[in-house]
Amino acid sequence: MLTARVLTRSESATAPRHQEGALALARRLPSLVASAKELAASVMHGVHGRRRAGTGENFWQFRPFTFGESVQRIDWRRSARDDRLYVREREWEAAHTIFLWMDLSPSMAFLSSMARQSKADRALVLGLATADLLVRGGERVGLLGMTRAIAARNIVERLAEALVVEDLRMSSAGHPDFPSDEPLPQRTQVILISDFLVAPDALATRLRCIASNGARGHLVMIADPVEETFPFEGHTEFLDVDSGALFRAGRAEAYRPDYVARLARHRERVRNAAREVGFSFALHRTDAPPATALLALRGRLEANVDIGAVA
Amino acid sequence: MSFLPLAFSAPLALIGLALLPVIYYLLRITPPRPRQIPFPPLKLILDIEPKDETPARTPWWLLALRLAIAALIVLAMAGPIWNPQHGGADGKEPLLVLLDDSWAAAPTWEQRLKVALAQVDDAARQGAPTAVVTASEGAREAVLSDASHTAQKLRALKPVPFLPDRMNLVAPIEHFFTEHPRGHLTWISDGLASGQTRPFAEKLAELAKNGEVEIVNGERSPLALAGAANEASVLNVNVLRATNDGPQQGRVRALDLKGVQIGDAPFAFGNATETQARFDLPIELRNDIARLEIAGERSAGAVTLLDERWKRRRVGIVSGATADVAQPLLAPSYYLQRALQPFADVREARPGIADPIGALLDDNVNVMVLADVGVVAGLAHDRLQSFIEDGGALVRFAGTRLAGSSDDLVPVALRRGGRTLGGSLSWDTPKKLAPFDRTSPFFGLAVPDEVTVSRQVLAEPEAGLPARTWAALADGTPLVTAERQGKGMLVLFHVTADTTWSNLPLSGLFVDMLRKILAISADTGKTDEDATSAAKQQAATLAPLSTLDGFGALGPPPSTAKPIPANFTDVAGADHPPGFYGPPDALVAVNPLALDAKLQAADFSGLNFRREPLNAGEPIDLRPWLIAAVIALLIVDALASLFLSGGVPLRRQRRAAIAGLVALFAFGTATMPSFVVPARAEERAQQISPRDLESALTTRLAYVVTGDAQADEASRAGLTSLTRALAARTSLTPGDPVGVDPARDELVFYPLIYWPVVAGKPLPPQNAINKIATFMKQGGTIIFDTRDALASRPGGPMTPEARWLRDLLAGVDVPELEPVPHDHVITKTFYLLDGFIGRTTIGQTWIEALPPEPSDGTPRPARAGDSVSPIVITSNDLAAAWAADRNGEPLYPLVPGGTRQRELAIRGGINLAIYTLTGNYKSDVVHVRDLLDRLGH
Repeated sequence: MLTARVLTRSESATAPRHQEGALALARRLPSLVASAKELAASVMHGVHGRRRAGTGENFWQFRPFTFGESVQRIDWRRSARDDRLYVREREWEAAHTIFLWMDLSPSMAFLSSMARQSKADRALVLGLATADLLVRGGERVGLLGMTRAIAARNIVERLAEALVVEDLRMSSAGHPDFPSDEPLPQRTQVILISDFLVAPDALATRLRCIASNGARGHLVMIADPVEETFPFEGHTEFLDVDSGALFRAGRAEAYRPDYVARLARHRERVRNAAREVGFSFALHRTDAPPATALLALRGRLEANVDIGAVA
Repeated sequence: MSFLPLAFSAPLALIGLALLPVIYYLLRITPPRPRQIPFPPLKLILDIEPKDETPARTPWWLLALRLAIAALIVLAMAGPIWNPQHGGADGKEPLLVLLDDSWAAAPTWEQRLKVALAQVDDAARQGAPTAVVTASEGAREAVLSDASHTAQKLRALKPVPFLPDRMNLVAPIEHFFTEHPRGHLTWISDGLASGQTRPFAEKLAELAKNGEVEIVNGERSPLALAGAANEASVLNVNVLRATNDGPQQGRVRALDLKGVQIGDAPFAFGNATETQARFDLPIELRNDIARLEIAGERSAGAVTLLDERWKRRRVGIVSGATADVAQPLLAPSYYLQRALQPFADVREARPGIADPIGALLDDNVNVMVLADVGVVAGLAHDRLQSFIEDGGALVRFAGTRLAGSSDDLVPVALRRGGRTLGGSLSWDTPKKLAPFDRTSPFFGLAVPDEVTVSRQVLAEPEAGLPARTWAALADGTPLVTAERQGKGMLVLFHVTADTTWSNLPLSGLFVDMLRKILAISADTGKTDEDATSAAKQQAATLAPLSTLDGFGALGPPPSTAKPIPANFTDVAGADHPPGFYGPPDALVAVNPLALDAKLQAADFSGLNFRREPLNAGEPIDLRPWLIAAVIALLIVDALASLFLSGGVPLRRQRRAAIAGLVALFAFGTATMPSFVVPARAEERAQQISPRDLESALTTRLAYVVTGDAQADEASRAGLTSLTRALAARTSLTPGDPVGVDPARDELVFYPLIYWPVVAGKPLPPQNAINKIATFMKQGGTIIFDTRDALASRPGGPMTPEARWLRDLLAGVDVPELEPVPHDHVITKTFYLLDGFIGRTTIGQTWIEALPPEPSDGTPRPARAGDSVSPIVITSNDLAAAWAADRNGEPLYPLVPGGTRQRELAIRGGINLAIYTLTGNYKSDVVHVRDLLDRLGH
C-alpha cells in the first residue's frame, strides 16, 4: 500500500542527524576544489592556485631582485648560492564565496513510502555536505540570507546552528518557499536546493534578480518518487500541503497522464528559467542515494568554473 | 416441523430479508470514504477538469460483510429459538395439561414446567383454551381458561412431598372429555408406577376415545431413599430407583438436625434398581444423624428423616450405696458412667430421690444398670419386672449388699456370701478370666491378662448354668451370667462395678462388654419398646413441627398438615406430609417412603398414547448470540472502513487498532449472557513488609522512634547492647532491635517497646494512641522513660516530659500504678534486684499495681499479678546506661557513675525483658519450695 505523509514540525526541524548525515556524505568524496574563473579581482586567500605569483602559501618561483623592491622580499638563502639577489614568489591563492539555500517550506516536509528520506531531509543533508566539501576545499560558504560566508572547520555545525535559529524564528510564519531576492555580488556562486514547486515565472524573476550582478548558480531540484510517478489509484482525496486545497479524484489513475505531462512542462520551464541566467539545473530523486547528487553537484561546480574559464 | 430444531418467535420479521437486495444496491453505490493523501505538487493538476468521477466500487468482501450484518439483524429480530418445545395440540380443541406433582417430579420440575408452559403457549397461539390439573389436586374440576391464566397457575405449582393417588383425577378428566370429546390431554408423568398409574392410564385411554392423549415421560428415573437402619456398627440406607438408566452411582449425605454434614457414603447401583449406602461412623456421630439425603437429588423422596427410634440407647444407673456420694470418683456409678458415656445416653437418678428406679423408668431408659443393689422391692420391683418383660435390659453388678441378700431379679440363683480369693484366709491367688465361650456374646473380645478377680458372688450350680454364663473365670466359675425374660433380659456381673472386688472396671474389656450388652439389648427391644410407648400414649397426637416440601427442604408445615397419632407408622400422605412431628425434644420422623419401599417404573405398554420424551434439549434463545455477532461484525466493518480510507497507515497505529479490536471483541463476548462470569472477588493483597515478616519470626526488642536523633540513637545503641547482654547471659537470643513508629508500624510482633519521652515533640496522632492502647491490652509492655530523674523533685512542679507522658496516656486505659514493690516478680525474673537504675539512680520506677498481699499466708518472696504489666514508667534513662559501642565501651557518662551502676542497669534491662516474656512464671518458681512442702503433706 502506497502511503505518503507530511512530516510534523518537530520531525522536519534541523537535527543532529542532518549534521551526521552531511559529514558522512562529505567524507566519502574527495576534496572538492572548485576552480575559480576570475582570480584577479578577488583578494581573498584560498587554495585555488592562480598559476601566477601572488600572496599565498605555496612556492611559485624565484625571480631576480629588481631594483627598487623592498629589501625584505629578498630570499637570502637562495641569494647566497650565487652572486645575484633573488626574490621568492608564492603562488597567488584566492578563496571562492558560495552561498547555499535549502528550501524548508512545508511542501518539502513530504515523505512517501517509496522514498528513503523526506525531501527536506535530503535537501539539508545535501546542502550541508556540499558546505563541508567546499570549506575543506578552502572555500567560504554561507547560507543565503542567513549567515555571511565563513570558512570554519566546523562549518556543518555552524550552518546547522544557523538553521535551527532560523527554524525557531520562523516557527510561526513558516519557511518561505523562495530565497530572498537580493542580488549577489559578482563572482559568488549560489546553490539552490528545493523542489521548485513554485510558479516558474516567479522563479525566473527571482533568479534574474539574484544573477543581476553576475553571480553564478546551480539549481538542485529534489523530488519524491511519488511526485514523479503519480502511482495513485482509486478514490483518492489529495491535499495541497502549502495552501490546504483539497482535490478529490474519483479514479486517481485517470489523472496520471495529465499530471506527468504537466510535471514535465513545469520542469522544462524551471530549467529554462535557470538556463536564462546561466545557472545549472539538476534533478535529484529522494529514492536515489544522496552521494550521486553530491557527485553531480561537485561536477557542475567544477564545470561551471571551467565553462567560465573557457569563456 | 422443519428438519432443523429451529423456530422463530416472530417469523414475520424474516420478511426483512427481502430488503437485502436493496441494501446490496445501496451499499454498492456508496463507497467507503476516500483516503486522503497529502500531495505537494497538487497545484499542477488543481485546474484539471474533473473527469470520470464514478467512484471505485465497494470491495466485494466489505459488501458481503455488511450484507451479513443486515441479515443477522433481521434474523435476530425474528427471535430464533434452537430446540423449541413443540406443543401437542393443533387446531382449536382445548388442551388439558395433567401434571404429575409428586416428589418424583421434583428433580426435573423446571423442565416439566417448561414443557407444560410450552404446550400452553402453543395452544394459546392457536386460540385453544387450556386448563391444568395436578395429581395431588384430586377431584377438583378442570377450568378452561386462557393461556396467561393457565401459565400463571402453572408457575405457582410446586411438587408435593408424597405420591398422590391419580384415581382421584378420573372424575375431572371424565368431565373434560364429556364436554370436549376431541380435546387434547398432555400428561406429564413422573414415570413411577405408584399412585395407581396403570389403572389410571387404562381409564384414561377409555375416556379419551376420540381425543388425543400425549404422555411426556422423563427418561431418567428419580432416586429415593428408604429404610434407614442404625445397625450395630453401621447405618444402612436403601437407595432406590425405578429403572436402570440414570446415574449409576452417587453419594448419600448425612446431616444432623441443624443441617451440618456429618458424613457421606457412596452408593453404586450396578445393574440393580436398589442398593445400599453404608455409613461406617462412630456411634456418637451416627446418633446425631437426623437426615439422610442423596446429594444432588432435589426431591423429598431422596430424603429420609431419622428420629429417636434410630438413636442410641438410654441407660439408667442406680447405685445401692448412699455413701458413695462422699467419694464420687470411687463410686461404682462413676466407672459405669465413664464406660457407657461414649456410646449411650447415661441417666443417673438424682441423689436423695425416694424411688430412683421408678424415676429412671419414667425417663424411658432402655437399659437399667443396678450397681450393688441388694433387694428391689415393692412397686419398683414390679415395674422393673414389667420393664424387662417389655423388652428392657437389666444389668446388675454384685457387691456386698447383693452378696448379703438378693431378690429374684437375677439370672441365676446365688449363694450367700460369695468367695474371696487371695485374701489372708485364702490359699488361692486372684483368678484371671477364661477366654470367652463361642456361644457367649462376648466371643471375639480379647481377654487381657492383667484382669484379675479377687472376690465374687457365686452362682448355685444348677442345670442350665453354663448356658447362661457369658463369661467365666479361669476355674470355670461364672463371672457374667444372663437370662432372657420375656422380651428383655437380665445380666449379672458377679463382681462390683468399682475396683474393690476386681480390676475389671479399669480394663478396656469392661467397656467392650458393656457396649456388647447395649447392642444386644437394642436388638431385642426395639419394636416392643415402641409398642409400650404407643400403649402409654394411646390417645396422644403429635403436631407437625417442620415438614419437607416436594424438593426435600424442611420448612414450616403447610396448613393442610394434620397431627399424627403417636403410634403413626404409615408413610406420608396429603394429610401427613413427611417431616418431623411432636415436641422438639422428642421428634417423630415421618418419611415419604415406607421402610421396605421399592420404586417401579410406570407401564404404558399397549395403550394408544402418543409418547414424547421430556425434552432433554433446552430451548436456546439465539437472539443474544446473533446480536453479539452483529456487534463483532460491526467492529470488523468499522476497522475495515478505517483501513480502506487510509486511517491506519502506520504499523504502530495498526497495532493499537488491533488491540482495540481485540478489547472490543472481548467486551462484546463478555457481555453476552452465557459468558457472564461472576467477577472474581478481588483478592486483597496482604502487604507484609519484610521487616514485619522478620519480626514475626524472631523475637526482638523495639523502641519508638521519637524523631529526636539523639534520643533515637541512644535507644538504638542501648537496646543493641541489651540484646547482646541477653544473648550472652540468658537463653533468649533476640534479633536486632528495631525502631518503630506507632502510627505506621504494626506493633503486635514486639513483646517489649522502649519509649524515651522527648517533651519537645508533638503527641502522636490519635490512631497511634489507639494502637498503643490495643498493644497494651493484647499483652505487650511499653517502657516509658521520661529521663528526667535529675530535673524532677518530689512535690516539685511537673517536668515537661512527665506532662507530655500524661497527655499521651490520657486516651489510654492505664491500670493503677505503683512504685515497683520490693517483692514484685519483676525484681526476681533473672537477677535479684532492688530497683531499676539507668543513667541516673534516683528515679522512681512505676509498674501496674499488684493485687493486695494475701493476709493469711506466710510472707512470700515474690508476688505477681495475673499477667504482665502493660506499662512500666521510669525516669532513669535506661537506654543511655545500656548503650555501648561495638567494642562494649560505654557511650554515655552515668550519674554518679561506675562500672557497678552500668552492670546493674543492664541487669535491670535483662529482668525487664525476661519479665515481659515469662510473666508470672518466676513467682511460681520462687514458691517451689513451698509447693513441694505442701505436696509432701
